[in-house]
This record gives sequence, structure tokens and C-alpha cells, in this order.
Amino acid sequence: MNGTTTTDSTQSRSVPRIKFTYQAALGLLLIALIVLFGILQPVFFHLNVLFDTTSIVGEIGIMALAMTFIITTGGIDLSVGYILQLSAIVFGAVLKSSGSLALAIVFSLAAGTACGFINGIIISKTKIPPLVTTLATMNLFRGVSFIIAGTSSYAGFPAGFKLISTYLVFNAIPVQFFYFIFLFVFFNLVYSRGSLGRSLKGIGFNEGVLIFSGIRTKRILLLIYTLCGLMCAIAALIYLGRLSAAKTSMGNDLNLQVITAVVLGGTSIMGGVGSMVGTFIGVLIIGVLRKGFTLVNFSGNIFNFTLGLMLIVALIVFAVIEERKKTSGRILK
Amino acid sequence: MAKKRVTSREFMLGALVLAFIVFLSLTTGFGSTSGIFSMMLDVSPTIVGAIAMSLIIFTGNIDISAGTIMGFVGFVAAVFAKAGYPFYVFVSAGVLTGMLLAGLNGWISVTFKVPSIVVTLAMNMVHIGFYVTFLPNAGWVLNLSDSFTFLGQGRFFGIVPFIFVIAIAVAALCIWIVKYTKFGKALYAVGGNRQAAIYAGISPDRTVLTVYLVEGLLLGIAGILKATTANRLMPSVFQGREMIFIAAAVVGGVNIMGGSGKVLGAVFGAVLVYLLSITMIYLGFQDYFQFALQGIIILIAVFITVTDFAPLRKRLKKAFAPKKAT
Repeated sequence: MNGTTTTDSTQSRSVPRIKFTYQAALGLLLIALIVLFGILQPVFFHLNVLFDTTSIVGEIGIMALAMTFIITTGGIDLSVGYILQLSAIVFGAVLKSSGSLALAIVFSLAAGTACGFINGIIISKTKIPPLVTTLATMNLFRGVSFIIAGTSSYAGFPAGFKLISTYLVFNAIPVQFFYFIFLFVFFNLVYSRGSLGRSLKGIGFNEGVLIFSGIRTKRILLLIYTLCGLMCAIAALIYLGRLSAAKTSMGNDLNLQVITAVVLGGTSIMGGVGSMVGTFIGVLIIGVLRKGFTLVNFSGNIFNFTLGLMLIVALIVFAVIEERKKTSGRILK
Repeated sequence: MAKKRVTSREFMLGALVLAFIVFLSLTTGFGSTSGIFSMMLDVSPTIVGAIAMSLIIFTGNIDISAGTIMGFVGFVAAVFAKAGYPFYVFVSAGVLTGMLLAGLNGWISVTFKVPSIVVTLAMNMVHIGFYVTFLPNAGWVLNLSDSFTFLGQGRFFGIVPFIFVIAIAVAALCIWIVKYTKFGKALYAVGGNRQAAIYAGISPDRTVLTVYLVEGLLLGIAGILKATTANRLMPSVFQGREMIFIAAAVVGGVNIMGGSGKVLGAVFGAVLVYLLSITMIYLGFQDYFQFALQGIIILIAVFITVTDFAPLRKRLKKAFAPKKAT
């Protein structure tokens, strides 16, 4: 951390090389997984099934894009699954009481954004670390959606609404994948080209320096947590179109999937280093795993078990790479 | 000296707990023998768990998998008891399980320099997945005999549960360790200022690893205290316990950033969190309000311990001083 300015030239030369190898390895892992599941269950190779995999990816992917922003700043958002849950419940409740689809969508998006805003305002205005904030608000949001819905669920959405995630482009590819691609292109541009992306990495490395350079880091933090809330609400709508019932049990285990996708993609949990392309591949890997496990008839618990192990392995591998990078940098110097 | 003790945070918390109990007894049926008994029964595992969690938080770490570790401890102990082993065998088997799992958390976090919250979050998922898929009957153990449940259901003089006495004894021991041993001081040093701790000759890595092992031991005790209260074991009872422990610790004044707090505070925090949830039940709120309440409690408590109120106090003084002068 201390030597970042002095070793700038060596780092800028060495970082892309290592990033490339890590993501290439990730791409290979993705292909290996597809081949593995294909051998176990030949149905997997059918184009329809492969395309169907991308429909699962939609909601996780959209949340993972915003999560990449947050983890790059050295923060984390543990409440994403429950923001999704709350937005879905609000959607169901408003649709049931008013009967207006437009109103339900607006309220649902507003609820998600408000949740993100609460996270953001606490994290940027107080000294409470993001981990603790979102751990607490996670329970808060969960409680609120239970208070709204109780044990009941909301079903019976209009057919037109379902089209937002059951429509097939060219009669083959689920439309969610295009939302994901579209948002990915946008997020990737902001992340790797815009000044905002640079600031995000800066906050992750050394927030103090950014403050002294006149960048309003608090405002950026507020913005990205609010954005994350909005993305969760969008994901909730897409998820609902596929599920057709809003329940308080949905979204429970999405937190870990989203974080795993981002960390697997090579974004350092300590902040400062990250890759949107990596997140993209990470999300695809999780989608393939989930679809593959369903096809091989493994339960959701084995999936979660594997995911947890994968997250730990990814953390360890990334830590080892970082360590090696640090020592090799010293040798070059 | 006496005055300092009276104005300390722990004294205030204790007074609050006492006032709470008196108030509840006066207004509801809480003060009856069965009410007090069930309080002591419910609060004992939480006290031990909250102490385990606060020791970890002192060093600036956290353990999200505490609940599921307790579940494993209960399972191992129950299986040993079911096989007919005497109580010292199943207790030590349970405690060893706790130390092993918590030690693994600590080892990964220390060796690979990964934040403990992410490791334990992932471990939480691994544990849940593991016992639902790999353990027989998804970890359920039914029809446990008296040789297992005598610990949790036995009571002194017909009112004080064995496990409450054990919890208090553990609390006393931990207060002594944290206050008077080198290890206790090292916890605060590592959490407060890691660099200074290194200069003082303390190895942060070794301290963190040790505290995870101690946490595992305490979680083992807490898990057995909780498991022995019923004659069947359901792993789901233990899930989410870590949130209650964290809430108890931060309500008790343990700084979530590490470096400060008291074990006694965590003990009172555990009782206070229990009393709050009991009050919610008496007020007729549904069960699920508890989630929201827990979240709000943690946020408020953390906000108060983390925020530096000195500038605010200064500003208030400035705002009010001229009026008084004129």
C-alpha cells in the first residue's frame, strides 16, 4: 500500500498481465464446467438448455454489477438478497391493493432505492463500517417484508408483466440475458473508462488521498449504495416475472451468490482492485453451476455448500496471487 | 473509586436490566417462578455465545458462522450421547468440534489475510449445506435420553437451572481472563492498534488464532447448554443465533471496530436483548418483528459506540454558552 506511488510504472506493467491470466483461468473454468455437466448429463449441450442457463443468471448478474462497484471501494452489501425480497413484496402488495401495474412497479423500484439509500446514508454519514451496517439492515429489511406480508404470498400477476422475463428473443434466448448484457456494457464503461470508476478504485486503495484531492467520496459512496438498491429492485421485478409469486422466502440465499460471483471474478475483497469482465464470467459460472446441479438432480443445499467452498477457495487463490504480485513487484524494483 | 464504578457503562446496563425485570414483573406475569426460570434457561446459552462473540470482536474480527458451529456441536454431542457415552465424553466431543470449526475459520482468515467476515459468511453456507445434505436425517436427532438432558433440564432448589450456573461461572472466568491475563490485554491491543501491538511484542496472527480457538470452546459450551434443554435436536434452532450474539455484544458496549468493550457488558447485553424480545411478545407483536428489532438495535448501539460525540458536545456548548452569559 505504501509503495503504490513509487512502483507505479512497474505495477501498471505487471497488473494487466496477471489480470489476464486470472480471467483466462476463469474462462477455462467456465468451459470446463460446461463440458463436465455435458458429460454427466448430455442434455446440457442442447442449445435450449444452454440458453436457459442465462435466464437464471439475470437477477444475480444485475445485482453483481452494482456489487462490484461496492466491493471495489472496500465495502460490502450483505443486504442485497433482502432488498430484492422487500421490493418483490412491495410490488405484490401494491398490485393487490391498487390493481395498477404501473403503480406497483414504481413503488417497488422506489422501495429498493430507499433501502439502498438507507444503507448509503448510514455508511457515508456515520463511522459504522459497511459490513455491520448491512448486516443490521439485512435483518431490518427482512423484518419489514415479514411485517408487510406475514406468511401470505402474492400471486396472480398480469400476463403482460410476465413477458418481461419469459419473452424469448429469436424464440430461443431469454430476454433477461439482454438486460444483463445491456447493463453490463453500461457498468463496464463507467467502471473502466469514466472518472467514477477511477474514484471507486481510489476509495478502495486510500480514501484519505481522494478526499485531499477534492473528490467527494462520501457522495460517491451514497450514490453507489443507492444504485445497488435500485439494481436489486430491478432484479426483483425480473425474478418475479419468472416466479409468478412474491413470497418472504425468496432472495434468502442470493447474498452469497452475488458476493461469490464478484469475488470469483477477481475483485479484491479488500478493495482497490476489480474487474467488471471478471464479474461477468463469475456470474456465468454460478449460472452454469446452478443449472447443472438441477440437471444432475442435486439439491439446492449442495449448491450452497459448493458455493461457500468456492468463495473460500476464490478468496485464498486471490490472496495468494496478490501476495505473489507484491513480492515480484519488490524484486523488479 | 466507588463513584467511578457507579457511573460506568456496565453499572448502568445492570441497573437497566434490573429495572426492566422489576417493571416486567409488576406489569405482567413475568415475575412468576416459571417466568424467571424460563428466562434463566433461555438466556444462559446466549450469555456464553455473546461472550464468545465479544472476545472475537475485541480483536476487530467477527464470526458469522457462530450459530451453525453451535449446531454442529449440538449434533456431535447428541450423537455421542445417543450411542451411550457418559456426559464427560459427549461434552468434550462437542467442545472439540467447536474448537475445530472455529479454529478453521481463524486459520483461513489469518494465513491468507482474508477478512474474517467473508470467510465466516461462506463457512456459514458450507455448514448449512453440509448438515442438510451429508448428515443423517439432515442433522435431526430424536428421543434423547435423560443422560443427555439432565444438564439442561436439571435445576438447583427447583428454580435455578444448572446451565445458568454454568453460564455465570463461564462469564466470571472470562471476565477474569480478559482483565488480568496477558492474553486478555493482547485482545484489546490487536483490535485497538495492530501496529502498536506488534511493537509491544504481541503477535496479532497468533492472538487472533488463539481467540478463535477460545471462541470455539465457548461456542461448544453454549451449543451443549442449548442442545441439552430439549430431548430432540433440530439444527435449525441454532441458525441465525450469531445475530443475537452480535446484538448482545454491541448493546453491551463492545465496539464493533475492535479494541474496546467489556465482557460484563456483553453479559448484560445478552439479558437485555432477551428481555426486549420478551417485551415484544407481551405487547402482542408477531414473531417476525424480532428481525426488524434486532437490526435496529444493532444499528443504534453501534452508532452510539462508534461515533465520536466530542465535536457535537463542543458545538452544543458553543450554542448554549452565550445565552447563559448574557
